Parts: sequence; C-alpha cells; structure tokens
Amino acid sequence: MAELKCSGLTRVFPGGAGVHRIDLQVEAGQVHALVGLNGAGKTTLLRLLIGMLLPDAGTVGYGSRRLGDVRPADWARVGHMVGHPLAYPELVVRTNLALAARLHWVSPNRVGGVVAMAMAELDLVKHADQRVRILSQGNLQRVGLAVALQHEPDVIVLDEPTSALDPSGVLLLRKVLLRRAAAGAAILVSSHHLDEVARIADRITVMNRGELVGELDPTSPDIERAFFARVLADDQSRVR
Amino acid sequence: MTAALVAETRKATASVVVRSATALLVVGIVALSAAMSLAVDSGNEQVQAKLGPIADKKGWTRLIGLVSMISAPAGLLGFGVVLSWIIGREFADGTVSGLFALPVPRRAIATAKLAVFWAWTVMVAAALAAACTLLGFVLGYGAPDSAVIPGLLRLWAVGVLTGLLAIPAGWVATVGRGLLPGVATTIVLITFGQILVVAGTGPWFPVATPTLWAVSPRDVTWVHLALVPLASLLFAGLTTRTWHRLQLDR
Repeated sequence: MAELKCSGLTRVFPGGAGVHRIDLQVEAGQVHALVGLNGAGKTTLLRLLIGMLLPDAGTVGYGSRRLGDVRPADWARVGHMVGHPLAYPELVVRTNLALAARLHWVSPNRVGGVVAMAMAELDLVKHADQRVRILSQGNLQRVGLAVALQHEPDVIVLDEPTSALDPSGVLLLRKVLLRRAAAGAAILVSSHHLDEVARIADRITVMNRGELVGELDPTSPDIERAFFARVLADDQSRVR
Repeated sequence: MTAALVAETRKATASVVVRSATALLVVGIVALSAAMSLAVDSGNEQVQAKLGPIADKKGWTRLIGLVSMISAPAGLLGFGVVLSWIIGREFADGTVSGLFALPVPRRAIATAKLAVFWAWTVMVAAALAAACTLLGFVLGYGAPDSAVIPGLLRLWAVGVLTGLLAIPAGWVATVGRGLLPGVATTIVLITFGQILVVAGTGPWFPVATPTLWAVSPRDVTWVHLALVPLASLLFAGLTTRTWHRLQLDR
C-alpha cells in the first residue's frame, strides 16, 4: 500500500480559497516535500489526503484503493500529524503514546516496547512521566511525531513537522524519516524551511495559490532562489 | 472498539472535570438535602413552603424525596457539563485532527465516548443512592426496610435517566465543535424541563419525566419512563453519525 496519490483534487471554500486540480504521487521509499508560502494551500491538500476534508472533485488513493474504500488494516499502516498533535494534556507522555499505539492497532503486548522505542528515538525518555500539559511546544511536537511514527507506518503525512523543534529535534526527525523511507515508506512532508527540506527530500513540489506549480531539484545549490523564481513566474502568469 | 474504550476510559479517569463533577454531584446533592431536611425539622417555614408536600413527610421518605428532587435538575447540569467536555474537548484541544485516518473509525470513538459517559452516570447514580443511605443512618432513621428500598432504587434510576437526558448536549457539542454549545444545551434542557414541570404538562416530555417521577412517582408510568432512553438513543445515533461524517472545514 506504500503509495499515496491524488488526481484532479479540488476543494474550494466560500470566498474562493482552496486547492485546484491537484495531481500528486508520493512513491514508496521516497520523501516528497511540499513547499509553498503561507496560505498556498498545503494544509488543505494534506487534510484532503487523509480524509479530514472531502473534495469537491478528484480522487485520493492509497495504493490501489480509493480513500473511501481504504480498510481499517490499511489505516493501521498510515501515520500523520496534520494539525494539533494527538496528545491529551492531562495524561503523561508514556500514556498518550500507549493510547495512540492502541488506536493504531498495535497489539497490547507490543505497546510497551513500541512506546519505549519511540521515546528513545525522539529523545522523550526524560519526559516519559510528565503530563503533556507542562511540555514545551517543541517537546509537544516531538510527542505528536512519536504518535505519528511509532507504529512504523508505510504512508506518512506530516504538516510543518519541524515548526517548533530545536536543531537537535530536527536532526532526530530527519534520521527517523530517512530510516522509514529506506524501509519503503511513502512520506509527504509540507514545509517552508527550504534548506531543511532539501537535505532529505527526494522530490520537492512547489505549491502556490492552491495549485502545484512545478518541482525543484533538491540538489540545486540555491534552492531558495529557484523557489521564489517559480512562485514569481506563477504569480506573473496569473496577472497576464 | 476495545482500543477506543480503553482510550476514553483512561482519559475520563484522569480528568479533573470528571472527578470534580463526581464529587460535586454526590457530596453536593446529599449535603444540600441534609441541610434542607434539618431546616424542615427546625421549623424553617420558607424551606417548608418551597418543598411542598415533601416537607410533610418524615424520615426516609422525606430524605429520598429531597435527594431525588434535587438530583434531577442538578444531575442534568453535572452530566451535561461532563458529556460536553468528553466530546467538545477534542475540538477545543485540537486533538480531533489526530482521530482521522485511524483504523478505529470515528463512529467507534464517538460510541466509546457515549458508553464511558453512560457507565459513569450509572456509577454516580449508585454512589448518590449509597450516600443517601449513609446519610439516613447518620440522621438516625435506622436500617432501610422493605418500604424504603424501592425509594432508594428509584433514586438510582432517576440518576440514570437524568444521565440519558444529557445525550443531546453531546450531539450539539459535536455540531458546535466545542464545549460551550453542549453546556448551553444542557442549560436549555434544564430550563425547559422545569418549565414543563411547573406548567403541569405531564410526563410525556422526556426532559421532564425524571423530575416528575422523583416528585410524584404515581403520575409516571413505564411508558413515560421508556421515552427517556428512546429519545437518548435517537441523539446517540445522531452523535455517532455526525462523527462519522465529520469534516474539519470550519
């Protein structure tokens, strides 16, 4: 199932904002970055891909199945963090991760080991017995990432996963994502940190004003300049 | 479904909202009943006038009548606030986004929330009946005899029915995407129920049935009582359906 794709995906909100005619394919074993300015439609697209929003037109597919036909066993192989982390403030980190693991169909006898490994991987062990309520934004984001990744998903969708992380957190996440990609996972990450994206992405797609407007070469020496050139060209083509 | 039940149970047991509501409902209602009972015994005419026919009763009958009468509206407030929190907190805390794209369907998560809430109301109602029994001993009414036990069972049943009346608050909390719409609905239900009781419209409106059954058991039949779970089932179905079709588009 490790493939995520959409075709002709459109969702327009009252006022005209939204996403239009999106064709995207995230392949197995690849980290695919979605970059764009604030309000470009990245989060809306990710929400459509995981069913938080229904499209006005177009389709979403997980492997050979359309979104509406995805079976629970397939959802168990998906991990995402789009919006607030699935972490309840009154519960400690360990309990939050254990409950999330159960909700992702990790068998009860494996939950302890899965949670311990996730906490070690994202450097959360020292916070294991702290309530989420008292965590910093960065550590809360680490918990959200652990929730999304601990069950070793084949399809991963992350919206701005490094927005609150410190440099060491960014390095840890990069390592985890590369490990998952090497294991065959299809990974879609939205970001506006271009340098950071370029370090791990196999493909970079640019989004502007609700549409995909081209790709960037991750090996390009000046990726920032290339990004702004692409956005500017798109803006100018709309004016004409 | 098991995973959703485990998660919802764990969240409810760790919740300050649920613990506080439990203490307030059990200790608060019994303490208020004890104070009113003592006020009647000491000849307080204002309290006697407000309690009406219950003030003329003695011992266990008066105590159970008082606890039942207070627990119907006060219980609905407590139950409605807790259900609004159980459901509305997912929107207020933003955690609802993490409940998408899971192998556990959102319909099962909503069902688990309602099941945990219902189990909690049954336990609170039982604790209230037990606290009332304890208070009767403390006030020197002796051991409850065969005439008193049906009253204590009715007190428990009034609590359970009152919990069921709060289900619409869960649906509105879902539609309104937060706690406050559910709390507001609870207040509307309490007000509406009290108006119907005072207006003497009878027990055909489920929102007034538990109160009427608490005050005047002979006027309420099993058919009237059965309408309460039927109405709550309707709103439970609406709640799970709304969760199933949920979109984060506002």
